[in-house]
Amino acid sequence: MIELNTATKRYGTLAAVDNVSFHVQAGEYFALLGPNGAGKTTIVKMLLDFTRPTSGSLSVNGFPSTNLASRIAVGYLAENYHIPPYLSGWQYLQRCAELLDISQADARDQCRHIVEQIGMQGRENTKVSTYSKGMIQRFGIGAVLIGNPQLLILDEPTSGLDPIGIREIRQLLESLKDQGMTIFLNSHLLSEVEKICDNAAIINRGKLLVKDTISSLVKNGDTLEDVFVRFIKG
Amino acid sequence: MSKARSPIFKIAKYTLLDEVRQKSLIIMFIICALFIFLIRSCYSGNYMVNGQTLDPGTVVQMMSKITFHVIAIGVMLLTALLAMRVLKRDRDDGMQSCILSKPITRRQYIAGKILGLWVLSTILMFTLHGIVFIITSLNLKAVLPEYLLASLLCSFNLLFVVIAVLLLSLLMPDVIAFLCVMGIGITGLVADGIFAVSHSQIAQAMVQQSGFPSDWTWWRVVYYLWPKLSGTEQFASSFIGSGVVHEFGSIYPLINILIYSFILGALLFRQFRHEDII
Repeated sequence: MIELNTATKRYGTLAAVDNVSFHVQAGEYFALLGPNGAGKTTIVKMLLDFTRPTSGSLSVNGFPSTNLASRIAVGYLAENYHIPPYLSGWQYLQRCAELLDISQADARDQCRHIVEQIGMQGRENTKVSTYSKGMIQRFGIGAVLIGNPQLLILDEPTSGLDPIGIREIRQLLESLKDQGMTIFLNSHLLSEVEKICDNAAIINRGKLLVKDTISSLVKNGDTLEDVFVRFIKG
Repeated sequence: MSKARSPIFKIAKYTLLDEVRQKSLIIMFIICALFIFLIRSCYSGNYMVNGQTLDPGTVVQMMSKITFHVIAIGVMLLTALLAMRVLKRDRDDGMQSCILSKPITRRQYIAGKILGLWVLSTILMFTLHGIVFIITSLNLKAVLPEYLLASLLCSFNLLFVVIAVLLLSLLMPDVIAFLCVMGIGITGLVADGIFAVSHSQIAQAMVQQSGFPSDWTWWRVVYYLWPKLSGTEQFASSFIGSGVVHEFGSIYPLINILIYSFILGALLFRQFRHEDII
């Protein structure tokens, strides 16, 4: 589903991503872990062709990331998600559906279902400017679900949320597991990752340190946090 | 073909709707419309030139031409103001990453932005010119359809402004991009003025008498090669009530603006292709 082949991204002399290779299988719940500035968001941007790798290659859905076809059936939630404040949540979802060429009737049905799924019934018609960060994040996740994507790329989906908001987002992501979606999650909320992901990779200063299943990484009563700290501190 | 085109129209529609939602735009448009209504009294005044009273028909025609230019310049200014923040706002609102994470190319995105802004500014200018057209028609008791044709011709200036501001806003701060495009317009106007003066016998005689070097070559180069915004406006307004048969030379400003729009458009697509999406 996702494949990175010696992907490197340099900004001048700084290597934001340095020779990283790994792949994510279809149906996998995969977490990319790393401290701030490790290169997680740069990898996501390269997957979506928001920025081009300096060398190496990336593919999504079997297509090079530079190919438009790689973005078919992919949902993307950006870090610090924003929605135009003058739109209502409903209008935003409709706009996302229209951009995916979904017919009006289908879009209405899907949006109604998604509003229920994200628990925002009754608030969908108010302006986004009146929403809390948690509500915006929920609509953001709702927007990526439009068109029944096969792959979700979520960059820090719980960033800036309070513990209750984090729990709600986690429950929402867990509920998607049954639908057979592949999830590529960028996060540094290790306890949440441990609860919902099957596999994880840890990167630091652009370099891939390890990639394995969560169960293989977390052994002997350790937590994912212990493992993470051990790898990062070397 | 229609599949590839449709995202452009969708993005153009969103651009148009998002701009229309801005209260500042609505207020500016209402002020412009009120201004045009207020100056309608000038159409019925008595004007004397060289001791001779101008007939009402000439007055209406002259006034409508002046208003035509004022509106064209005003809407160009408004268009530059609208265009300078469009890409930044889309980036800040998350719409850029939302659109480009879908199977939509950067070229389609930029084409949609250009189309949306161009259509919106053309509608604004056409509406304001339309008001003058109605006032003129009522005062002259005759319809001047060429007034609306002139307005449409002038819309190519707006296309140039949209593309130039979008391109420059990728390379420099928004306000500087706006000022640069205004500078292009003003320089073009000055070059046109100097070129006209250089062709007048009085000016040539004055330069010869004063002993100043009379080398107009540099200004001639600027006149021909600089984006001819004011020239296109002049060409468009020459249709109003004149019945002039246009030679190829008089259409040059329009061709100049179209060529510039094409070149800057290509540069804009190229620049945005290499842009990192945030």
